[in-house]
Amino acid sequence: MFLPISRREWLTRTGCGFGALALGGLTHAANPLTAKKPPLPAKAKRIIFLFMQGGVSHVDSYDYKPRLEKDDGKQMPFDDARNIANTGTKGTNERVMKPLWKFAQHGKSGRWASDLFPETNAHVDKLCFVHSLHTEGVAHGPATLFLHCGSTNFVRPSFGSWVVYGLGSENENLPGFVSIAPSSGNGGPRNYGNAFLPAIYQGTPLGKAGGAITDATIRNLKSSLSQADQLSRFDLLKDLHAEQLKANPGDREFEAVANSYELGGRLQSNAPDVLDLSKETAATLKLYGVNEKPTDTFGRQCLMARRLCEAGTRFVQVTYGDSSANPAWDQHSDLPKHGVHAKATDKPVAGLLADLAQRGLLEDTIVWWGMEFGRTPYAQKNGTGRDHNPGGFTSWVAGGGFKPGHAHGATDDFGAAAVTDKVHLHDLHATMLHQLGLDHEKLTYKYAGRDFRLTDVSGNVIREIRS
Amino acid sequence: MLRLASCFVLFFVSCEVVCAADSPQQLEFFESKIRPVLVEHCVRCHSDAAESAKKLKGGLKLDSKAGWQAGGDSGPAVLPGKPGESLLLKSLKYQGDSHMPPEGQLPAVVIADFETWIKAGAADPRIGTAGKKQIGMSVAEGKKFWAYLPVKAPAIPATADKAWATNDLDRFILVKLEAKGLKPSPDADKATLLRRLYFDLIGLPPTPEEVDAFVADKDPKAFETRVDQLLARAEFGERWGRYWLDVARYAESLTLRGFILKEAWRYRDYVIDSFNVDRRFDEFLKEQIAGDLMKAKNTEERRRQIIATAFLAMGNHNLEEQDKKVLRMDIVDEMLDVVSKGLLGQTVTCARCHDHKFDPIPTKDYYALAGIFRNVQATDDANVSVWKDVPLPVEPALEAELKKYETQIAALVAKIATAKSQAAGKPGAKGALAIVDVKGIAIDDSQAKKTGEWRNSSSTGTYIGAGYVHDDAAGKGEKTLTFTAELPATGQYEVRLAYSASASRAANTPVTVFGADGEKTIPVDMRKDPPVEGRYVSLGEYKFEKGGQSFVIVSNEGTKGHVTADAVVFISLDKNEAKKDEPKPKVVEPDALKALQDELKKLQSTGPKRPLALSVVERAKMEEAKIHIRGLVSNQGAVAPRGVLQVATIGEAPAMPKNQSGRLELAEWIASADNPLTSRVFANRAWHWLFGSGLVRTVDNFGTTGEAPSHPELLDHLAVQFIAEGWSVKKLVRTMVLSHTYRQSTGSANPADVENRLFGRANHKRLDAEVIRDSMLSISGSLSDARGGATYPVNLGSDYGYKANDNWRSVYLPVFRNSLPEFFEAFDFADPSVVVGARNTSTVAPQALFMLNNPFPIEQSKLAGGNLLKLSLANDDARITHAYRLTLGRSPTDGERVVVQKYLKNQNSQPEAWAGVFQSLFASAEFRFAK
Repeated sequence: MFLPISRREWLTRTGCGFGALALGGLTHAANPLTAKKPPLPAKAKRIIFLFMQGGVSHVDSYDYKPRLEKDDGKQMPFDDARNIANTGTKGTNERVMKPLWKFAQHGKSGRWASDLFPETNAHVDKLCFVHSLHTEGVAHGPATLFLHCGSTNFVRPSFGSWVVYGLGSENENLPGFVSIAPSSGNGGPRNYGNAFLPAIYQGTPLGKAGGAITDATIRNLKSSLSQADQLSRFDLLKDLHAEQLKANPGDREFEAVANSYELGGRLQSNAPDVLDLSKETAATLKLYGVNEKPTDTFGRQCLMARRLCEAGTRFVQVTYGDSSANPAWDQHSDLPKHGVHAKATDKPVAGLLADLAQRGLLEDTIVWWGMEFGRTPYAQKNGTGRDHNPGGFTSWVAGGGFKPGHAHGATDDFGAAAVTDKVHLHDLHATMLHQLGLDHEKLTYKYAGRDFRLTDVSGNVIREIRS
Repeated sequence: MLRLASCFVLFFVSCEVVCAADSPQQLEFFESKIRPVLVEHCVRCHSDAAESAKKLKGGLKLDSKAGWQAGGDSGPAVLPGKPGESLLLKSLKYQGDSHMPPEGQLPAVVIADFETWIKAGAADPRIGTAGKKQIGMSVAEGKKFWAYLPVKAPAIPATADKAWATNDLDRFILVKLEAKGLKPSPDADKATLLRRLYFDLIGLPPTPEEVDAFVADKDPKAFETRVDQLLARAEFGERWGRYWLDVARYAESLTLRGFILKEAWRYRDYVIDSFNVDRRFDEFLKEQIAGDLMKAKNTEERRRQIIATAFLAMGNHNLEEQDKKVLRMDIVDEMLDVVSKGLLGQTVTCARCHDHKFDPIPTKDYYALAGIFRNVQATDDANVSVWKDVPLPVEPALEAELKKYETQIAALVAKIATAKSQAAGKPGAKGALAIVDVKGIAIDDSQAKKTGEWRNSSSTGTYIGAGYVHDDAAGKGEKTLTFTAELPATGQYEVRLAYSASASRAANTPVTVFGADGEKTIPVDMRKDPPVEGRYVSLGEYKFEKGGQSFVIVSNEGTKGHVTADAVVFISLDKNEAKKDEPKPKVVEPDALKALQDELKKLQSTGPKRPLALSVVERAKMEEAKIHIRGLVSNQGAVAPRGVLQVATIGEAPAMPKNQSGRLELAEWIASADNPLTSRVFANRAWHWLFGSGLVRTVDNFGTTGEAPSHPELLDHLAVQFIAEGWSVKKLVRTMVLSHTYRQSTGSANPADVENRLFGRANHKRLDAEVIRDSMLSISGSLSDARGGATYPVNLGSDYGYKANDNWRSVYLPVFRNSLPEFFEAFDFADPSVVVGARNTSTVAPQALFMLNNPFPIEQSKLAGGNLLKLSLANDDARITHAYRLTLGRSPTDGERVVVQKYLKNQNSQPEAWAGVFQSLFASAEFRFAK
């Protein structure tokens, strides 16, 4: 293993490299990643999406339903989404199951939350809860795609790709959209894919779900060659390009390729620094639970997300999940296992909120804690777990101009279905785009003769959750 | 009273006839109870204002009486006097699929007001415009649009310059250039031309020797000879077949769980072969849509036709969709998309939810086509539905052998079953058995999570671990047991339930197994003795993932008598796992049974295999589709009899058969010389592939939102010639590359035609990912000459993380949707989930990082450098020349010699130095383009 090339070495090569060589080369405006001024007044500049893959139970975490305590164990009729999809039958008999965690009011805002996420509870006054979410897809495959791309099945660009398409990146030397530890399952690469948008808006994966965090890096950032060989070949390539451009004056495509090496070189020199957590103070590491057993992995990932955002990445997703067909939070049986996942994520999430706030970043960063669907308030097959519930669930958003310490909408008495001020996932997508200064109806891309958008033909901006 | 009167007056002023029957009381009711609600909750999305703001939803307006009378996409919203049949009331009540208003249900008293209002006749004084109107082009207007006009041979134009054209194609090009006062570009030099031709026809660069021979060849037919040689090479089909695979969204796995489509490669090989044998293109299309319904001359042809239908079956479906009615329509939609975009250049699927907003394609046409594909079965439904691999017909001799073999297997399986049931009755199976002695991973009832009260017992004396439990035949529907296993590895397992049997037990205990593919409930009759070893009943074989869900729930719901459970056992069916994890079973199977099982295993591993192909089948019952309003399966309207696109039908529309899906009729309509789209669309595709942009640049969109052809007469000329020459792709390609137009140099952009729409020069063409990779392999001397067949391990379970390391030609690397070869991903390979007629061409930093740091270019450069040093070349200067000729097909300039020499001077190791030269050449811009 060779030492990475020093940043200085790269800078001497890429600072005024090909761009200067290619007389009349690409201007900055021609770089599609250049930051664009949002068309609407923006409250937020970037998003960190914390994806709780598999589906956190809202009735065990943030959606307090005393009826579940009262009617625990009773058989009652419910409209179960899976039963309806499979057989069309409504009102099947199910056994009500009370939450396994104790609820209490927290913070000045008095938001209800269970003790599943005790550390995050200290930050409820920063959070804006949406209790009336509903979405498409009863199974993970369709619902996960819907969460990321606004469609259960068809090939559509991911949310992050749309955002970078709309706003560009604040740092041209870093990818604009990064997905940390993405899952191979339930849509895999399509969940951070650009689909028909230009390739430049493709999400960059960093490691993979279940993989060691220390392996998480951007592909092809390191070479097996010695530093000397790398540099001499890079210099030779630069000279070859100069000659090729002499023979093909004004060839914009050649210039673009030559420029891509300059960008690549800068990426290679910048990215390792951004991903290097060793520069963080002990206090910060501790805040995220880094080097503590259950929280080390997710803590490092959340910290990387902060570092990327700070450096100008527009959209960072951190997945807590795995590549199986029944990912992490998917407790069809053994609901107490939610506790294990909560332990692994609670402190890092709380740490991220605290850290962003103390750095003044939370103001213009949306932190979105979300999942593909919630879970049923009754036991699946009368067993020890809960099935999927796309009809009503809770996510929270923080920062980025969302009302802090606020709760919006409600499910019914049991938490089975959203009933009051319902918010479709399309609506939440639309609202987040709005906070970024993008009109979800105008952020379109023409493909196959039609204008496409993240929210398809739906979506309303939810005014009540904006401060 | 006064208020009522004024209202009455108002109403007479504002509307005359429509509302004449409305009484003042009714109107008062409307004004006080209904109108405010409509204003507050409805008109934001359902009004003229909403329509002008492009926010009108469902085509429905509620700001006037005419609006709700005409209704929206679902029909009239209110039927006066009939609240039960009024969609508006249904929506307010949140019944059916439309729930209005969407943000939450209105209070019950408000809904009751609406019911009262409708029952009383729905008085409404408001006048206004109705909702629905024609937005796109009508079919009649559409028939005048260029793409739907019959293909007719145009007159060959006369050009001023009589010498330039070598064939008629050139005359169409030249006449347009002349009209603009432009001249064609001079010819490309011979080396450049040959390199271009090689890339275009076979996707590989010519060797320096081939270039030298061509440059030296003074025969006027030298170029033509090369064209014919290349058309005859097997690599032609590999290059052109790959183009078609882009259109066909060819892939060998599904995104969902990375399922491998094990038989898809046969389709790829079929496509490559079709281009190589120059199969008539009309036949080629027909086979892909309806091969299984066509007549076959012999078994071989029948096999080919079935393999071809994988075209319909390769969609990237979300087979996990729980509503199978939705899944069925999604599959239909996808097939329709591939057929319409790929073959006809039409965006038909826009009409799934509404009449096409731009093109003359009404929703009725969509469902007429959908009706055909609804009669096609592409999957077998299950929690995760399964695509169809159908048996291929084989030659009679093999068929006889297969039949014999299958009979043998069936007989053995029956014998084993008998032997097992005999063994089960033996007293050896009685008594207590310790958990550690159980074969497989056993979870005792004592470890199960219990809901409700379960009693322990050991009274029968036969059990595993510490006794068994029963539900005391009480609290039916309230009790469950959950047996959860921590499995050591992902794989197939057999799941068994041990229970205690007796006559008083439950006859239909629901036992549900939760695995990677979802859940399945098996009723267990606990009155009967357990059939396996006297202890177990097999619940079947399932896939489980390590860390995924692997548990069994025993419920007492709907049962009578005692429900018992003793243990659940997971037995790995994977050979290696079985060996590793299982202690030797104490209960030894009788020798005879073991012998039979061994025999079966042996037979299964050595016997002949029946070949399968990815395909579709006709459904048992043929039916017509109903229009799905707003595309929803739950909202069906009038029947749309099966048929084809009206606007593209010249003459009689084909009649649809009663006993078949209609695919064959559709195929014949598409692959017909009379179809205005098919021949034009393909001729244009071929032009795009050879010239770098189409005559119609939106190659997949010949609708009104597409681009008009730059040379409509030329397109028709080519289409007519294509048909006249028996739909021969090779002849079409030959005509194009032998034109003078093809031989031009790239030159520089003419200000009068910056985009080169007139083809007065050659386009600078970006090379495809495959061409770049194959060129590197061919230059490094490591390109494999292996061709065809499955190119990944036979037992590959999923495509997650798969890395193809072979030096096959790129077309043979498995196209896995979750793990495309990194080279493909970096260099704009076609998205294998959608029709791609024109690939993206991106220039991004990850490509640079790939070329600089990825092991592949580093390795190929090393090999190429090593080979170069083995050649007897006089000096470094000669080596530089050779490296340039290998990679860029030309000699270096003086400037280039200088910079390479300068680099070499600073290098210590020869092999590393030359590896560096090759890596830099591979990485350079020029290597990625054909001039």
